[in-house]
Amino acid sequence: MTTEGYGSHRWGMAIDLDRCTGCQACVVACQAENNIPLNFEDRFDRSRAFEWIRVERYWEGEFPDVKARFMPILCQHCNNAPCEPVCPVFATYHNSEGLNVQVYNRCVGTRYCANGCPYQVRFFNYWEPVWPESLRNHLNPDVTVRSRGIMEKCTFCIQRIRRGARQAARENREIQDGEIQPACVQACPTQTLNFGDWNDPESRINQMKNNDRSYTLLPHLETDPNVVYLAKVDPHKEVTHHAEAESGVH
Amino acid sequence: MKLNRREFLALAGKSSAGAVIFAACGIPEQELLIQSPVDMPEDLVRGEDAWYATTWGDGGNGDGMIVRVMQGRAKKVAGNPDFPVNLGKQSLRYDATLQMLYHPDRVAEPMLRHSKGGNLSGTSWGNAERRMLSALDGSNGRLVVVTNPLRGHVGWVSTRFAETFNGRHVNFDPLEQGVLHNAVRKMFGTNQLPDFDLGRSQTILSFGADWLSTWISPVRLGMKYGEFRGQSERGYMIHAEPRMSMTAANADRWLSPNPGTEGHLALGMARLIIDQGWASAGEVNAFHAAVPAGILDGYALEDVASRTGVSADRIREAAERFATHRPSVAFGGGSAAAHTNGSFNLAAIYALNFLVGAVGAEGGITLNPESPLAEIPASATGASFEAWERELAEWRAGNINTVIIHGVDLVHSLPRSVDVPGALANVPNVIAFGTVMNDTMAQADLVLPEKTFLEDWGTHVPEPAPGYQVVGFQQPVVGPTVTQDGAGLTSDARSFGDMLLWASGGAIGASNMRELTERAAGELFDMNRASDSVNAPNASLFLGGVLQRGGWWDTQSQTDQSAAPEALGAGADPEFSDTSALGDGRDFFLQPFQSHSLMEGQLAPTPWAQQAPDPMSSAVWDTWAEINNNTAEEMGIREGDVLYIRSSTGEVEVLAYPHPGVPPNVIGVPMGQGHDFGGRYAEERGANVLSILVDRKDAETGALAWAATRVRVLRAGRRKKLTKFEGNVEAFPVEPGVPLLIVAPGETAHEAEEANHHEYQRQFLGQNGTEPDDSH
Amino acid sequence: MQQRRTLDQPHTNRVLLNGQLNTPGWWLPTVLLLGVAVVAGLGVILFMIMQGLGVTGLGRPVFWGLFITTFVFWVGISHAGIMISAILRLTQAEWRRPVTRAAELLTVFSLLTALFFPLIHAGRPWRIAYWIVPYDFARGIWPNVRSPLIWDPVAISTYLTGSTLFLYVALLPDLGNLRDRTTGWKNALYTVLALGWRGNPRQWKLQTIGGILLSALMLPIFVSVHSIVSWDFAITPAVEGWHSTIFAPYFVIGAVHSGVSAVVTMMALMRWLWKWDDFIRPEHFDALARLLIVVATGWLGFTFLELIFAVYGLDAPEIALREMQIFQWPWNMLFLVFLFTGYIIPVTMWLFKSVRTNIALMFWTSILVNIGMWLERYLIIVPGLARKQPFVFSWEGYAPSIVEWAILAWSFAWVSFLMLLFSRFFPLVPLFEQKESQVFTTDVKIGRATVPAILREEE
Ligand SMILES: Nc1nc2c(c(=O)[nH]1)N[C@H]1C(S)=C(S)[C@@H](COP(=O)(O)OP(=O)(O)OC[C@H]3O[C@@H](n4cnc5c(=O)[nH]c(N)nc54)[C@H](O)[C@@H]3O)O[C@H]1N2
Ligand code: SF4
Ligand code: SF4
Ligand code: SF4
Ligand code: SF4
Ligand code: SF4
Repeated sequence: MTTEGYGSHRWGMAIDLDRCTGCQACVVACQAENNIPLNFEDRFDRSRAFEWIRVERYWEGEFPDVKARFMPILCQHCNNAPCEPVCPVFATYHNSEGLNVQVYNRCVGTRYCANGCPYQVRFFNYWEPVWPESLRNHLNPDVTVRSRGIMEKCTFCIQRIRRGARQAARENREIQDGEIQPACVQACPTQTLNFGDWNDPESRINQMKNNDRSYTLLPHLETDPNVVYLAKVDPHKEVTHHAEAESGVH
Repeated sequence: MKLNRREFLALAGKSSAGAVIFAACGIPEQELLIQSPVDMPEDLVRGEDAWYATTWGDGGNGDGMIVRVMQGRAKKVAGNPDFPVNLGKQSLRYDATLQMLYHPDRVAEPMLRHSKGGNLSGTSWGNAERRMLSALDGSNGRLVVVTNPLRGHVGWVSTRFAETFNGRHVNFDPLEQGVLHNAVRKMFGTNQLPDFDLGRSQTILSFGADWLSTWISPVRLGMKYGEFRGQSERGYMIHAEPRMSMTAANADRWLSPNPGTEGHLALGMARLIIDQGWASAGEVNAFHAAVPAGILDGYALEDVASRTGVSADRIREAAERFATHRPSVAFGGGSAAAHTNGSFNLAAIYALNFLVGAVGAEGGITLNPESPLAEIPASATGASFEAWERELAEWRAGNINTVIIHGVDLVHSLPRSVDVPGALANVPNVIAFGTVMNDTMAQADLVLPEKTFLEDWGTHVPEPAPGYQVVGFQQPVVGPTVTQDGAGLTSDARSFGDMLLWASGGAIGASNMRELTERAAGELFDMNRASDSVNAPNASLFLGGVLQRGGWWDTQSQTDQSAAPEALGAGADPEFSDTSALGDGRDFFLQPFQSHSLMEGQLAPTPWAQQAPDPMSSAVWDTWAEINNNTAEEMGIREGDVLYIRSSTGEVEVLAYPHPGVPPNVIGVPMGQGHDFGGRYAEERGANVLSILVDRKDAETGALAWAATRVRVLRAGRRKKLTKFEGNVEAFPVEPGVPLLIVAPGETAHEAEEANHHEYQRQFLGQNGTEPDDSH
Repeated sequence: MQQRRTLDQPHTNRVLLNGQLNTPGWWLPTVLLLGVAVVAGLGVILFMIMQGLGVTGLGRPVFWGLFITTFVFWVGISHAGIMISAILRLTQAEWRRPVTRAAELLTVFSLLTALFFPLIHAGRPWRIAYWIVPYDFARGIWPNVRSPLIWDPVAISTYLTGSTLFLYVALLPDLGNLRDRTTGWKNALYTVLALGWRGNPRQWKLQTIGGILLSALMLPIFVSVHSIVSWDFAITPAVEGWHSTIFAPYFVIGAVHSGVSAVVTMMALMRWLWKWDDFIRPEHFDALARLLIVVATGWLGFTFLELIFAVYGLDAPEIALREMQIFQWPWNMLFLVFLFTGYIIPVTMWLFKSVRTNIALMFWTSILVNIGMWLERYLIIVPGLARKQPFVFSWEGYAPSIVEWAILAWSFAWVSFLMLLFSRFFPLVPLFEQKESQVFTTDVKIGRATVPAILREEE
């Protein structure tokens, strides 16, 4: 992955698909942490539900030999983010720590970035987000409440990154690996989700990346994601041999 | 985990949450003393946040939580990183509790019904108190206190309170774990549910229980599952359950036995293991102590295959894997227990552990110690359905003057056939505590707004414990919520425990829950354990430490792991309710299942629970029926078709969601919806499958056999869009391994991608460039 | 072999200026009717901007829909102007003369309308205005020149400026003419607009040179505008069926197809409404139809090239997308309608001269073409989004809401409204061009065809 142009940190995630149970804890934790608009019935019916991190479920085969597979997907914070160049107003751009950030008050609502994003992790406020007065009590003061006409997406919980950095600075020490945990990572019971700094060679995510199950989503698009996946293991998968594979058409 | 303050700080520094518990640094003595934020005005003015530790007793097993509080408002709930049960991890349900706290429809003030059949109307606490006292006046010997299973001081108070009036304290649990406790008692001779050391198992063999999602201690088990998958030698998981639950979906091998035949399947495997000599003589003897050899006669592989509907090969494969790749562990519950032969099923399942020497072994089953607190049980379960039928008969007969209800929704959770409203109608004084109105409160004569666990004091002994003694401590993390206009409180709620203590007129010997909570800490301090989680020079600092860490635990307090099983009786076949008189339609085994977000309805009032996609169907905000896709096609059923699901005692209307993960003879319906009352987000939504369950019971315990109802399914001829997160295309990959890459053991991601790509191209050119058949 | 009256100049003036000097009776009611439609449409737009884009049928991943489709459609139509005026002028095709002005008008008005759609599409137009239009240093941050959404406004506003000038220069002689025939406030108006046109040789020379220069200058714009619009899609690798290298020429030629067809529609209307049978004659339709056959066939080639690329690439999501587009209801129906209206029906009919010279038939076929061309844009934009990348779990459909349809309808009412309004005050057929051609041309018989040819008096 590219490291040029980055400061001392380049945040990223490693996601082990072999651990994900599809429990949705990450999804709701994110919604709670990031003041994500409530997904009422019509939001789903109009395919406008907000899930900065979502769990996709794929079927394979038919009963009784059917498999269901779960896959958490969030903003991949691509180093070559196709969502960025298309934004006419730099409302979405790459920061010096590898984050694809979203400046709400610059966004003019063209939704071009959402078309540009191959991973479908961008969400548009077709309606003004509303909470009953009493539910506003649990809004997170560290996170802007968006308004209608604004694009939003996973921020890697930048507010937590900042808090962690401040905390470390106050105790003048380096940020320790695993100290900063985005809401989804902290919630995930199975440690499917792991957050860390690619620039720290010792970090857990770097160790995971060296696992030979590691891959990135849609590599042919050259988006160079900061999120790495570890393939799901299926002991019953029969391997198509290489020799056979080579004989395939090129 | 013995720590002095310095080490503790160091440890806390490692977990972001732990770190901010100490955000408010000052003089050490003050620092250790965490109070309720209500008494901490400085917390209100500073933008600093503080994380308070507490525990969620009502959430089933009593996980540890920390709550982020800012300016007097709870902002985020997370797992308590120090609490040994869930080590900082959580389920989606944790966050939803916050929306119970700030629910827009929280009961604001006491409500009184002046005469049966009249309406509930708001009243003052003064009147409410008078009404409660007068009710208790005439209730000597005719009082019943109903609560959810409580393993803490609230439970203790409830029991004492009932006793003061020579009444009864009865637990209620919609999916009572009585059968499970019974099986555990018989096999391992202990009252406490055991812990499962899955993180170090090589083979997991589970039956019926959706343990990754909802069963007994899902967060802990999920955590362990993560470790299980993370082992250098990858473990193998086998799960037997008729319907593909989230747990089944994560198994390496899913077996789908006919409902109620799980016990037969277990014994079939046992017999095979013994015949094949996959278990040592010692293990076989230990097993026979639990399952006499004679019982296995009827379990030749072929018979078992035909009885369970699982192919002989699959049974052999599973049995061999279980017996030969150790450490192994077998457990079960959920739908496997919810049959007329439920106790037999579970006993047979747990007995398997003797065959692989799993009891007390690494990667196996860990038996749990008793509660460290005198008088506070480490285990509690709802009274059996049978007991409840008797109880309700008493009520109906007018033998009961006052019923006090807390933490349960009897009307919603019990089958319509037992007519709870009818019973309540014959009780002169029904006093219901609650946060948001529910179907039972709506029937009460006196409704009392109750503090949520986030506003109240208490203790909870988690079950199952992590193998040693743990007591969770609950403290108020926020004060009462003031309305936006500052006019008053959103809810003038009081603590259930405090109210009972008050109404007992001092008979229980404590004035409020805070006092009891502190007393509990004192009791633990006096035990003066060397190996416990907090060490402090005096009781008050000890209390501070306990509140700060959200609990107390003693890692050296394991119990003796030797188990003396009670011999299992001959196996019985499951019996199901009758459908012959239900008119046209096709018969199915009804598999009700606990919603991963609403549970049986407790969290239905909260948007976050309502909007959390179901793991399998991704459906939200409604009630659906999971039906096999091919069966659906035969019956001309498409997604969103309204289905009538009829049992001999009732009918519900649900929307069809056909998918390949259901056997052709089974229909799965989630619990948790279908409330008449439940606040703006839950009311008049979906259907309540619990209401149509037929009164079949487990032969031994009399527990409700909630999976023993057979139903007849019929299309209503209407359609409605099924609200779900999944898009408008059946989600089969368009290209092998994209985007979700699957590798065989040892295969690298790169190899898999290559192979998939060639495979895909072959597919195509095989079909001369037309689209692959799975592209829609 | 048609008969053609040779007209004297006074007659020409009278007939061609009757729009301005003595308005036909149907004009007022029609304009009022359209006016009501336009106001109603603006009401709907206001409603949407107040309520939020929730009132549309858009969602995720189909973030773009009817509005962008219609934007592309109108930009396409706008290619009529330059095609007719500039290119045909430079190639000295005489038959173009009577229709040049109407074509240029259509260009200007359809561009104005097109510009409207990206604005309302974003939901809160004032934000676009605030962030994209003013390049100010106060905020110290400039719009992102890498984004096609910045290229678009640049290209289109250039085009708009060019066409307006073009239109105006060509209008000057007629304005002078009108000034001399009017009194009162109209006279005052024309006096100002005519910029002191006297029709002396120097002015004529300048006006002609200006016209030719502008035509030449417009040519690159002609190619660039729809190329750039096509890049809104072509540079988006994430969307199957968008990221195609052939998009620029594909869109341009498509634009010509729809633009020229729109001109045919308009010519028919002008001939009927103002009884200009003497000026807008069958051979004009014939010539345009011949041109269209070539253009349309070229365009169809690109359309199939697209599909071939899809299959050749064996890109799973793209195959899935084409599969949906061509085989799945309702897309398959739309696709058929698009093929038949956009090409098969009109082009096969145009092969017959009897059709090419039949005004009614030409009118209806040209309408068909633009139905097809609108569908083409829709079929390019929406299915790609509905089948975006291999995240099958997130694939979704799109059904435009009544609000979107209403705004689409509004755009047609709006353009016709402007055209009619214009026709009330300015001649739709340029008199001077008309007369110039009458001076220069006569019929020359080539084979069976009778074509206008230029006579130049030899020095
Ligand atoms: N021009 C002008 N300047 C003024 C004044 C004026 O009248 N005119 N008034 C002065 C006076 S009297 C005051 S008090 C100050 C007020 O000025 P500030 O102290 O800045 O108060 P706010 O700007 O209201 O709030 C600051 C931030 O706190 C965030 N916030 C809200 N709740 C929380 C929380 O729980 N935790 C944290 N960390 N942040 C939270 C808000 O979202 C906001 O972003 O302004 C002073 N400055
Ligand atoms: S995942 Fe999508 S939104 Fe995130 S950076 Fe990449 S392209 Fe942009
Ligand atoms: S929607 Fe907002 S962020 Fe996305 S491209 Fe448009 S302006 Fe930029
Ligand atoms: S305060 Fe926010 S909105 Fe205002 S200029 Fe700064 S960044 Fe922009
Ligand atoms: S990192 Fe933060 S913002 Fe991104 S998905 Fe996870 S919780 Fe949501
Ligand atoms: S929390 Fe973890 S295990 Fe659960 S769905 Fe999210 S990623 Fe998967």
